[in-house]
Amino acid sequence: MIRFALNKGLAALLMLWIVGTIVFAVLFVVPGDPAELLLTSDGAVASQESVESLRRQMGLDKPLITQYLDFLAGAARFDFGQSLIDHVPVGKTIALRLPRTIELILAGLFLGLITGIPAGTWAGLRPGRSFDRVVSAANAVLISVPGFVTGTLFIYLFAQVLRWLPAGGYVSFASDPLLHLKLLTLPAITVGLHLFSIIFRMTRASVLEMRTHDWVRTAVAKGLRRKLVVRRHVVRNALGPIVTVVGLQMGILLGSTVLIEFIYNWPGLSGYLVTAVQQRDYPSVRAVILVVSALFILINFMVEMLYSVLDPRIRL
Amino acid sequence: MPFSRFSFPRRLIVASLLLLLLIGSMFAAPLLTSADPVQIAVSKRLAGPSWAHPFGQDEFGRDRLARVLYGGQVSLTVAFLASFIAMAIGTFIGLMGAYFRGLFEFIAMRVSDVVLFFPPILLALLVVTIFGPGVSTMVAVLALLYFPSFSRIAYSETLRVSALDFVEAARALGTKPRRIVVSTVLPNILGAISVQFSLTAAAAITVESGLSFLGLGVVPPAPSWGQMIRGARGFMEQDPLGIFVPCAALCVTIYAINLFCDRLRDVLDPKGMEDGKDSVSPAGRQTAAPAKLDTDSAAELRGLTLSLNRGKREAPAELVRDITLKLRRNQCTALVGESGSGKSLTSLALMGLLPSSIRPSAGHIAIERKSGAAVDLVSLAAKEAEKVRGDDIAMIFQEPMTSLNPVLRVGVQMVEALQAHRKVTPEEARNRCVAALDRVGIPEAEQRFDSYPHELSGGMRQRVMIAMALLCEPKLLIADEPTTALDVTIQAEIIDLLRDLRANQDSGLSMLFISHNLGIVADIADRVVVMYSGEIVEEGPAGDILSDPHHPYTRALLESMPSLHEEMHSSRGDRLGAIGGTPPLPQARPSGCAFRDRCPDAKDACAATHPGLYPSQDALRAVRCIFAPEASSFLKEACDEPCVA
Amino acid sequence: MPDSSELNFNPNRRAVLTGIGAGMTAMALPGRVWAADGETLRYGLSTFPPSLAPWNNTGASSNNVKLCLYRGLMGYDPEANLIPEVAESYEWPDPNTVVFKLRDNAVFHNGEPVTAEDVVHTFESIIAEDSSAYLKSSFLNIDKVEAVDAKTARFSLKQPSAIFLKELANYCAGLVWKGSSADDPVGCGPFTKSSEERGVFVEVTKFADFYSKGEPICDKIRFTAYADQNLRYAALETGDVDVIEYLPWPQFDAVEQSETLNIGATVSPFMLVLFNVAKDGPFKVPKVRQAVGYAIQRQDVIDAVFAGRGTQLTGFPNPPGSPYDVSDPTIEYSFDPEKAKRLLAEAGYPNGFSCRLLSTSTYGMHQDTAAIVQAYLQMIGINATLDLPDWATRVKKGKEGDYDIAVHGLSGFYNDPNALWPLLHSGPANYTKSFGFESARIDELLEKGRATMDEEERGAIYKDLAQAYFEEVPQVPINWRAQAHAMQKSVKGFKAFPGWLNTSSAFSFDVSEPS
Repeated sequence: MIRFALNKGLAALLMLWIVGTIVFAVLFVVPGDPAELLLTSDGAVASQESVESLRRQMGLDKPLITQYLDFLAGAARFDFGQSLIDHVPVGKTIALRLPRTIELILAGLFLGLITGIPAGTWAGLRPGRSFDRVVSAANAVLISVPGFVTGTLFIYLFAQVLRWLPAGGYVSFASDPLLHLKLLTLPAITVGLHLFSIIFRMTRASVLEMRTHDWVRTAVAKGLRRKLVVRRHVVRNALGPIVTVVGLQMGILLGSTVLIEFIYNWPGLSGYLVTAVQQRDYPSVRAVILVVSALFILINFMVEMLYSVLDPRIRL
Repeated sequence: MPFSRFSFPRRLIVASLLLLLLIGSMFAAPLLTSADPVQIAVSKRLAGPSWAHPFGQDEFGRDRLARVLYGGQVSLTVAFLASFIAMAIGTFIGLMGAYFRGLFEFIAMRVSDVVLFFPPILLALLVVTIFGPGVSTMVAVLALLYFPSFSRIAYSETLRVSALDFVEAARALGTKPRRIVVSTVLPNILGAISVQFSLTAAAAITVESGLSFLGLGVVPPAPSWGQMIRGARGFMEQDPLGIFVPCAALCVTIYAINLFCDRLRDVLDPKGMEDGKDSVSPAGRQTAAPAKLDTDSAAELRGLTLSLNRGKREAPAELVRDITLKLRRNQCTALVGESGSGKSLTSLALMGLLPSSIRPSAGHIAIERKSGAAVDLVSLAAKEAEKVRGDDIAMIFQEPMTSLNPVLRVGVQMVEALQAHRKVTPEEARNRCVAALDRVGIPEAEQRFDSYPHELSGGMRQRVMIAMALLCEPKLLIADEPTTALDVTIQAEIIDLLRDLRANQDSGLSMLFISHNLGIVADIADRVVVMYSGEIVEEGPAGDILSDPHHPYTRALLESMPSLHEEMHSSRGDRLGAIGGTPPLPQARPSGCAFRDRCPDAKDACAATHPGLYPSQDALRAVRCIFAPEASSFLKEACDEPCVA
Repeated sequence: MPDSSELNFNPNRRAVLTGIGAGMTAMALPGRVWAADGETLRYGLSTFPPSLAPWNNTGASSNNVKLCLYRGLMGYDPEANLIPEVAESYEWPDPNTVVFKLRDNAVFHNGEPVTAEDVVHTFESIIAEDSSAYLKSSFLNIDKVEAVDAKTARFSLKQPSAIFLKELANYCAGLVWKGSSADDPVGCGPFTKSSEERGVFVEVTKFADFYSKGEPICDKIRFTAYADQNLRYAALETGDVDVIEYLPWPQFDAVEQSETLNIGATVSPFMLVLFNVAKDGPFKVPKVRQAVGYAIQRQDVIDAVFAGRGTQLTGFPNPPGSPYDVSDPTIEYSFDPEKAKRLLAEAGYPNGFSCRLLSTSTYGMHQDTAAIVQAYLQMIGINATLDLPDWATRVKKGKEGDYDIAVHGLSGFYNDPNALWPLLHSGPANYTKSFGFESARIDELLEKGRATMDEEERGAIYKDLAQAYFEEVPQVPINWRAQAHAMQKSVKGFKAFPGWLNTSSAFSFDVSEPS
């Protein structure tokens, strides 16, 4: 177990170094100059001298290798430097924004799990029946309507027409808990719908497979109540694959809630990343990628741990 | 793998047609509409549907029908091309990594991981900003995004396949690695890969539309669905049709692809859809006459016929025909026959565990409860049946390796069986279960109680199953080939155990023992019932039947084992060695005697009549053969005329 | 010179499903969700200000907030008239010298009085060697700034300048206390920054010692960033904010018909076509560029891209509200494909040619305008392939001349033809002007126009410039586009400034109140 953790840790460090180096290299191939961009936002015209002096202030005139070593040395100390744009330490911004994205994902995950697992189980136990057909078909419909459309539709319906919820934005929980939850509702549902489709499909397939296993027949032969058979001998066994898929999705979502954050003005990490790429804010992009990768590795690790708890046959 | 003998599966027809229709209509766009997808007519912008423009015109006045069709070409081409490239690269990497292991494996899997670490949108952003938007960039981005999932699947599938016997054999024979990979491993992982391919293609279409929407995709004015959605979003309120048309197109296409890959998965791996073994789905209610029992019976079947419902077009197949069987109290009755003879189905009918597609079409079932009442588990309400199962009647199965839930401790599974029928405290439950484990000869029962099934040997697991079955002291125990999957020495131990338990249960224990192995039957059974093709062909006291079989089939069964002891060593051979052929399918039984095709003594007369089950004078035994001694008196009475020609 | 309005970046990768709405009724409340408290004006920005550094131009959102925190010597009254701001008065002893008298009661946010020393500090910092200030090149015309006494500052200019005062009124010319550290510049504007959450909002609070008595009226302004234009409008409609900038064009009708909302619209930026004339190719020939001018049906761009909100721009882009009338039908384009073809043939391209058309996918209106221009070029035989990279790459490609022809949108920051200087004057390449275009004639006219103080004389110079613009074809204009603020009817005092002053509308925050 300790050996396992140690191995994983070393592999993770290696991976992070590779990822960091790739990002560093790629960013310098990507065209565009942060200094010039900052001074030309909204179509302004900047003089060449202004751009040059800003480049100097940003430290972009240093040799590439120096910049690379600075970056590595900083990252090793968890110091990702300052944003080129507003000089706020990148670590601070991430600490502010990451929890919001995680909150959004967890809220969506919660909605996805409480709807997806029961629906998937129900459909998996009665394949081909009307419930299964309706939800499976609806799933195909829902998966095809892009999030930016559903998001826009939700805002139109719930904010503009019905006036139940604010159109979008963010306030911290501490300053106004109720408003915070209201603002979380629509984006969380949008994320939740995405996760629902995945969890539903996975649960259905898993239940479909699990219910044919011999131990289910044994459980029925023992005279267990049907609910107990389903819960303990079908769903319980189906959890393993669901956990794996959900874990992977969480990792992917960390960097991919961009659209939802954008549509609902939810100031999370993805939005920060995309803005940073647009502004060519190198330190921010590098730091976000490293943090997302590290979390990805952590989630994978946790999924493996959880899997071994769920299935005692797997030994770490 | 079904690839070698691939005929087009019926299940795929609808899905394939739908998909072909969609693809066809997009590539036949010039035939369907004469409009030019990039021709602008701003004065007619956002015009509603008309004869010339059935789907209306978009924000530039372009024909929406043409755009959605031509856009589909672009979207589909990108999606399929990208999926194909991702598949080729990913499969290669996964295959190499898993087959050659070592450094290859490390590099292959890390490369995939690194890609997975990048948030997809960032990957797309970076690639597109470096290479500029366009169809080829789009294909590259999607291929990059999706190859890791292919390499992961190829990797794990190859690991699985490499461990299979024939791959090991090829390796032992010194076949070149490249040949093994190409000719042996690859065909075996194609199933999983092709399913992933169709999934990826569907996902790629949505991502393509998403990227185009962001302006990272197809360059306008070339139409694509994402571009259409991007354009229409701003006018959602004024012109909902604009957003509906491309979304609907996306939706139908993805539905078709999903449908196709679901069906493909069913075809390649039919296990999931097979309804056969499902024991959780609620069964349809069946009304039956109130069950009655003879005084000396633990359970009875009277004229039971089990039919497989094969859909509306085909007549139901009778899997089990007109079985009348009496399990005498405190006796062990053995049910013998080849695979497919219907012996397991008969026992499942007794337990009320028939798959939902198989229903009794005639006859009665009756089991005696402890209270003395008789019930029929097939027609009993689910709640009531739960009370009977495990308490009045219990069952142990053939495969101890899979009959226990692998993720729950042995103790948990035993305690739940007990708690289903008895109100006991957790402590008491534990004590009783440990005692039961002890009774079936499990050493260190206390520790075993907390073990997981995979920590026990096959023999131990079967002992656990037996202990669990007997927890509530049932009156009837059904043992369905309980030793078949076990080692020879263990087999004998289990048989001894069952014999002892039956002798020692104070409340008395009747047993239905199912086997294809007459040697084992001789050790345990009081009566033997031989089944062939869904029918009883001979029954009687164990000693009589084994020493003097009257039915040619029973004789063949006996002859196919050289000696009782040697038979133990070929435990898995449940095919008849002495006679060729296989039992007929239920829907293709020959006329007359079902066994006549394989019978060494068959005569013309066998084809003419379907023989009855003729009882002997003393009514102790019966046989279904017109040439058996028991038959002579019947046939003479019934057939004075030359009906037996 | 804002040109954003519509950041159309809607990042998405995974498709998302619809469906569930259960449980939401529980949270539903009728009416306004974000109640206005009467004292705070809530303003919906189009993007979060990347930086509030006083002298850098980092976009319209930043400039709105900066005008709350910093004020310069000159400014605009709520009716958009140029007035002395921190200065009480000014005078021109000679064409090369201007002397400002500072307000007695002007103090910085830290309580220090605004002195001539601060003025000297500010302008020396702007033109310092390592400065990245927006107006650095303009203010390099300043020969010397001196403090005559505590409240009197004298500027000596290298050349007379007709627009110097207008430049001083810019949002990138705010006075900063001389003792400020580089990270924490102290200004003397009507508000101080009270709280901020990066990426979400900036809130400014009334500065009690502001020099204009009784102003500002509202206690606070809360700037919230709504990057998605549809959401920004939704936030206004639901009452989450009081004012929004850059109202999306498809919503103009809705706001105009609304009983609760007002619109403040003006035609401001213009769309145009730029050319790479450094490359040996068709666009080196002025006739080919003119042909492009005759090939485009301008109303189509206005209708399709701007929902009909704009006017055709057929000649010299003389800013709306400019004091000079340079219009002349003989030097204006019309939609005349036959003439375009003829011009092409005369230039030696009777069968057309192929080229690359650069624009950006970051801004939807640029992309859409490019699509229409491309369609019309097709009709006269010019086969343009669209190249639509993101904004950063667009800037780089424009600056490096990596294109044949480009579609772009532009504006100035004051209503005077001299605002076109950076787009027309030769000098270092930038992405807003035709790559490699140089014309001694245009340069001379621009220089003369700036140094001439006499209004009538200037009018004549710009008439000549309009002529040169048509003949030398540094760019082909397409249309003026409308730009609008939308606000609740209850909002008083806020005014959308006309023409190119639109981005200085924040001056009217002084007299704005939410209800």
